[in-house]
Amino acid sequence: MASFNSLMPSGVRSMLSICRSPLRQGSIAAPLFSSYQQVRGKVSAPQKGGKKGSKDKAVDKKKKGPRDYAQVDLSQMEQFALCDAMRYIRAFEVGREPTNAKYEVHIRLKSKRDGPVIRNMIRFPHSVQTESRICVICPPGSRIAKEALAAGAVLVGEQEVFDIVKNGRIEFDRCLCHPDSVDAMNKAGLGRILGPRGLMPNAKMGTIVEDVAARVEDLRGGTVYRERDAVIRLAIGQLAFTPEQLRDNLRATIDQVKKDASAITDKFTKEIYEVVLSSTHGPGFSLTGDFKTDKSPESAVLCGA
Amino acid sequence: MPNLWKRIHKLKAKLLDVRLGTGAATFPSAATATKEFPAITRLHLTYAQKIYGGHQGARHFWRNCLPRLKYHNPAVPMSVKQTTDQEGPASLTIYFSENLSKAASSNVTDMTDQHAPAPSATEKTAVLDLKNLPYTDIWHNVKVLTGAQEVSPTTEEQAELKKVEQMRLKAVEDRKRVAGLRQAKKDQEKMLEQARGEVAKLRQS
Repeated sequence: MASFNSLMPSGVRSMLSICRSPLRQGSIAAPLFSSYQQVRGKVSAPQKGGKKGSKDKAVDKKKKGPRDYAQVDLSQMEQFALCDAMRYIRAFEVGREPTNAKYEVHIRLKSKRDGPVIRNMIRFPHSVQTESRICVICPPGSRIAKEALAAGAVLVGEQEVFDIVKNGRIEFDRCLCHPDSVDAMNKAGLGRILGPRGLMPNAKMGTIVEDVAARVEDLRGGTVYRERDAVIRLAIGQLAFTPEQLRDNLRATIDQVKKDASAITDKFTKEIYEVVLSSTHGPGFSLTGDFKTDKSPESAVLCGA
Repeated sequence: MPNLWKRIHKLKAKLLDVRLGTGAATFPSAATATKEFPAITRLHLTYAQKIYGGHQGARHFWRNCLPRLKYHNPAVPMSVKQTTDQEGPASLTIYFSENLSKAASSNVTDMTDQHAPAPSATEKTAVLDLKNLPYTDIWHNVKVLTGAQEVSPTTEEQAELKKVEQMRLKAVEDRKRVAGLRQAKKDQEKMLEQARGEVAKLRQS
């Protein structure tokens, strides 16, 4: 129970032994993804500072909103242990398809309105089964193509992929590209079609990579998340999960978000303010960080349909 | 995010609604089972998508009673199948462990629900026909068959219920008051607009 406490901002330092196993997986994944983390506003921030010095009065006349996102005072908010929240959520989700209904987590951050946002990807210890179909652009028939197919890519090739995309049949959610095929891709002029959908491979986004097969595997099991208006929202489990499975996923998520937050430059500090568990059809429950209370039912009961 | 108090009041009312009301009851479990009322191991509900053809009550039973039953009996799996066949049955299958309860065995229907999961070797099922029944009647039947114990509100919950009701009444009052204010403002604007129009007309002529 105490280890679960470490999810919350109060107990950041104490990482206990139980939570190590999900952590280790995360640490393998971390260097892979941290390379393409976008830092928005990194360039614009110093410019703003410069302007302010020269035209101090002009800036002051313009009314500016608050610098930080407003935070509510949580002392009045009723908070729940994980098992209690799950009991309520399972009641609200009764009769729904257990594979369709998902637990979601909303992580509220203490953050400035401008500055970088957290944007990353996570692999859960227990997969949430958000199958994504992946397309890989690489020289057909090569070793890379075979590996990508083996890793679970749906569509692999060069010219055939371009033809399919130009015909408007886009039946994939992600698109990767091998460096060898970049020239061919740029010549084919896919940007107009793939760009608006956010599917265009781009080195900055980490979608042009050498080791395509490994990325495909990561993408298939991984979930992408990003911070919007100081909240990170993502699905973290199926309704049929046991509380222990959900706890592992939640812990992995929060650990990674903390890591992302600390990776951001010193100028901007971000910390977790509130963690809310909700579900596809249910309301949100602010979590205390405890696993269970005396009143909550046995954890073996809170799983399955 | 909405105002904190809005969020708190809404959540509290929702949770209270799940804890109390029609269907807030505990089924006999393995620990509390008697000969007359054996433990309940599972529930399955089947009904059609639209409400005509007598499926309304079954749907309301799912909406209103099942969440409360699930809250008070977290260990009992409950499944719901929504069919597209309006002519088809609307039925509730109750799974008893070992034997049927006396009440259930005395009014056995020969219905079977093809969507319900098959009972295991130690389970016996009773199927209720829900067509053309309001959900309160369905709940009454279920209670009689299973011997479920209704959960009565504690003193704190009673106070909370009272508060929710008070807030509801206050909201009705406030809504009326604010609607009056808005209407008065609109009327005045309309009047001013009209007066301006008349002045313009006079000038033109």
